[in-house]
Amino acid sequence: MSTEIQINSDQLEDAPISRFEALKRVLRQSPMSFRIGGAIMFVHVFIAITGPFWAPYDQATIFTGPPLMGMSWEHLFGTDMLGRDVFSRVIHGAHLVIILSISGSFLGVALGTALGLLSAYLRGWFDEVVMRLIETLISIPYLVLALLLVTAAGPKYSGEPTLVVLVVAFVFAPRVTRLARAAGLDVVMNDYVTIARLRGESAWSVIWRELLPNASGTLLVEFALRTGYAPVLIGTLGFLGFGVAPPNPEWGLMISEYRDLVLASPVVVLAPALMLASLIIGLNMWTEGLARILGRSVRHEE
Amino acid sequence: MNNSSPYLARLEEIHLSYRHDESWLKVLQGVSLDIAPGEVVGLVGESGCGKSTLARLLLGYRHPSSRIESGRAILEDVDLLGLERNSLDGIRGRRVALVPQDPTTALNPSMRVGAQIAEVLCEHGDEKSEEEITARIIELFENVGLPNPEFLVKRFPHQLSGGQQQRVTIAMALACNPSLVVLDEPTTALDVTTQDQILRLLVQLRSRLGIAMLYVTHDLGVVAQIADRVCVMYAGHVVETAATERIFSEPRHPYTRGLIGSVPRLDLDQDKTARPLRGLLRRSQLPKGCPFQPRCDFTEPSCAEVHQHPVEVASDHYVACQRWQHVEQEEQTRLKDVPESSPVTELDGDDPLVEFDDVSLSYSQPGRLDKLIGYSPLTVVHDLSFTIRRGEVVALVGESGSGKSTIAKAVSGLLPPCKGQIKFNGKPLPGQLDGRSEEQKRTIQYIFQNPDSSLNPRARVRGALGRPLAKFFAMKVSEITSKIAAALEEVRLPKTYAARFPDQLSGGERQRVAIARALVAKPSLLLCDEALSALDVSVQANILSMLEDFKKDREVAMLFISHDLAVVRSLADRVAVLFNGLMLEIGDTSAVYAPPYHPYTYALLQAVPDIERRNEMHENIIEQETSSGGRACPFAGRCQWKLGSQCETTPPPWRKVTGKHSIRCHRELDNLTALATD
Repeated sequence: MSTEIQINSDQLEDAPISRFEALKRVLRQSPMSFRIGGAIMFVHVFIAITGPFWAPYDQATIFTGPPLMGMSWEHLFGTDMLGRDVFSRVIHGAHLVIILSISGSFLGVALGTALGLLSAYLRGWFDEVVMRLIETLISIPYLVLALLLVTAAGPKYSGEPTLVVLVVAFVFAPRVTRLARAAGLDVVMNDYVTIARLRGESAWSVIWRELLPNASGTLLVEFALRTGYAPVLIGTLGFLGFGVAPPNPEWGLMISEYRDLVLASPVVVLAPALMLASLIIGLNMWTEGLARILGRSVRHEE
Repeated sequence: MNNSSPYLARLEEIHLSYRHDESWLKVLQGVSLDIAPGEVVGLVGESGCGKSTLARLLLGYRHPSSRIESGRAILEDVDLLGLERNSLDGIRGRRVALVPQDPTTALNPSMRVGAQIAEVLCEHGDEKSEEEITARIIELFENVGLPNPEFLVKRFPHQLSGGQQQRVTIAMALACNPSLVVLDEPTTALDVTTQDQILRLLVQLRSRLGIAMLYVTHDLGVVAQIADRVCVMYAGHVVETAATERIFSEPRHPYTRGLIGSVPRLDLDQDKTARPLRGLLRRSQLPKGCPFQPRCDFTEPSCAEVHQHPVEVASDHYVACQRWQHVEQEEQTRLKDVPESSPVTELDGDDPLVEFDDVSLSYSQPGRLDKLIGYSPLTVVHDLSFTIRRGEVVALVGESGSGKSTIAKAVSGLLPPCKGQIKFNGKPLPGQLDGRSEEQKRTIQYIFQNPDSSLNPRARVRGALGRPLAKFFAMKVSEITSKIAAALEEVRLPKTYAARFPDQLSGGERQRVAIARALVAKPSLLLCDEALSALDVSVQANILSMLEDFKKDREVAMLFISHDLAVVRSLADRVAVLFNGLMLEIGDTSAVYAPPYHPYTYALLQAVPDIERRNEMHENIIEQETSSGGRACPFAGRCQWKLGSQCETTPPPWRKVTGKHSIRCHRELDNLTALATD
């Protein structure tokens, strides 16, 4: 052939840079909120992972000192009305909050994504039914919905951490579904989805191979933001007494339990409250920064 | 205007770079260009050569991530590059204006088109009162040949056709009587017939208003119709500048010769003076010397080292090539070595692969109630009957909206016919995709127009090609890897491309991957839906020659959809011409391209920008875009050879020219021949 294209190896100079290089580049250009939030999160995660090994007392041991003794070197945050060490309880509670938040929002995002993308791909009556249902759920205020679910689960399961995870997932899922559907509708328009359909691929295969990778930018951002909201919801549930059951050192629950002591020994209430606040602020800053990075890289590729 | 200066606009030794990650990529390297008052200059080059960047400098526009190292952009003695934003606002629109490529994105969809032009007039124009502005808009609309201006100013962009939208953007550019208009690929997004009308309009405006134009395009065929002078760019360098007449009769630079060779031609018999280009423009591997050296057939070792300066080879003819004197001779000897391409092989026997039997297609399926009241939905394609034989390439040609893609969709199973039946391999083909067998899904493969949209941006080439192999042949991973390498080789891509993502490929390479993906399924029918329309002419020529090879080697039948008769000329065995969902002519390729023509086929042929017919634009007629009413013959509204009322009342009959060539028209065949040869 006279029009043969001769391609030699030096044309590959612009070959893709490695993932590690790309990651380094992203971190170097990351926004300030991402770095500060990341630092706060690092401290929290460090406490959550290692805390149980160096906490001075067990979270449930009573009479480690006199009740309500205030701040001291033995008891950094004082003791509660049962003489439990508040510092140890706060440390022990860290991993509980983080695990509950992440697993709850992950489950919610996973459920919502699956349903939303399926809705976007199938359209028709399935889409109509799913969307009306989702709209009904969204119209219920999220706290009311959460309390309804806890009550519906009955006393047998109330106080179980698993129930809290399920409640968080269920509250988040409808909102994620709408978002995933919108992202999916954008992708479905593309010819590669039509090609996959013409190939006779099943709906799940199309969603997994064609829709999910292209909607993942939006969905990761959503996951990050939801993980930021989750501690608020879990803390609120705990405070209202619908979260995990009492001996657990969950921070919202602790605030609720100690709220009468705010005058007698303020540090007892302030410690879990400040921890919860710093976690929420850290998570929010970090996820917002992450969302910006992901949003930028999504835009960059287009 | 200062009459002492011979130039209206002048770009001097522009060096410009774009930020690319953390380094600067040189995009323009010492480019100079002059435009005289009232002159039309064509700026030609492939995608990525920097022609749009250069053209926009004349508007004082610089991309935020670009940097000008040196050079001046002078318009009427003002250096635009040194101006502040405020002073630029006084020049843009008033003295220089832009007509962008895609009118659908250039017009605000939520504003009436008249109001959008009024905005320009309020900002830059001399008209003050509302009446003056309205009168001016109507005058502009008349100038650009829009019918019913009083009515059209109140329309929204989506209520206009693509051609009308582009006329509106031209009217907008002309609003304040600029002395220079920069046209950035203004017809690339349009059909050939619409493109022809826009070009005619520009020629007419230019002779009437005396506006200078810079016409940016990748298509030399278009430039031949309109430009006085042509400037050819490659990788940020001007490689050749000459008067239009000279550049086509005596092209000197190898790149110009290649571009000319790439323009699709209607007449295959004519001796080609040059061969199409090979390879691609890659910024990452430019040599120190001549940027074209890696793709050039005439290089000597020093080309890669020595920087090429433009040399004046004749009066006002500049070439940046040290070997320009040898190019002509060497090309002649090389062309003789190339074996004559064999004529279209006659297919033996009548072995139908796809048969359309009285098929009608519609996007809305009639509901139960519609059936009760006898309502029939709007059909897009009416009563279509034809066959595609095994290994045959049938081209479907027509303007957008003629129903070509709808036919491809029906074959692929995306749109079941509302009447009639499609047979495949002698058996009825289920209308719905779900009803089709795995085998049928495999043997019918689709290639879309836009490779950006037909490849998953998150999947590597390996994934795109591997999936059909895994799905249809249940192959093992090791087998798939070797098959992918073979498939890439077949579309002339290196096998290392398997690891790339689509955004690391050029448009032409992406389309090759899309073709490879269709071919790995070993199809017996390829549906090519405008598969070449989104590509540069030079890339088009390469892929076309590749498809021709597949036709010979693999005996795959194709339904090749295009709006351009010139593109399908060398590939198709048979051509079917479609207008508004009705087939008007069908026959062997050689027969369709010779008289007698159907009036519409003739109009399509006339619209093809042909290098041979350069600057023969008739300036007297502006074809007003009329809606093609005609209940009987859909083309009656636009037909230049319309007979009379019978065209609008009685459906035209099929007339047999030869055994396989038929024309659907009221006129007698002899009459049609006579009209075409006049």
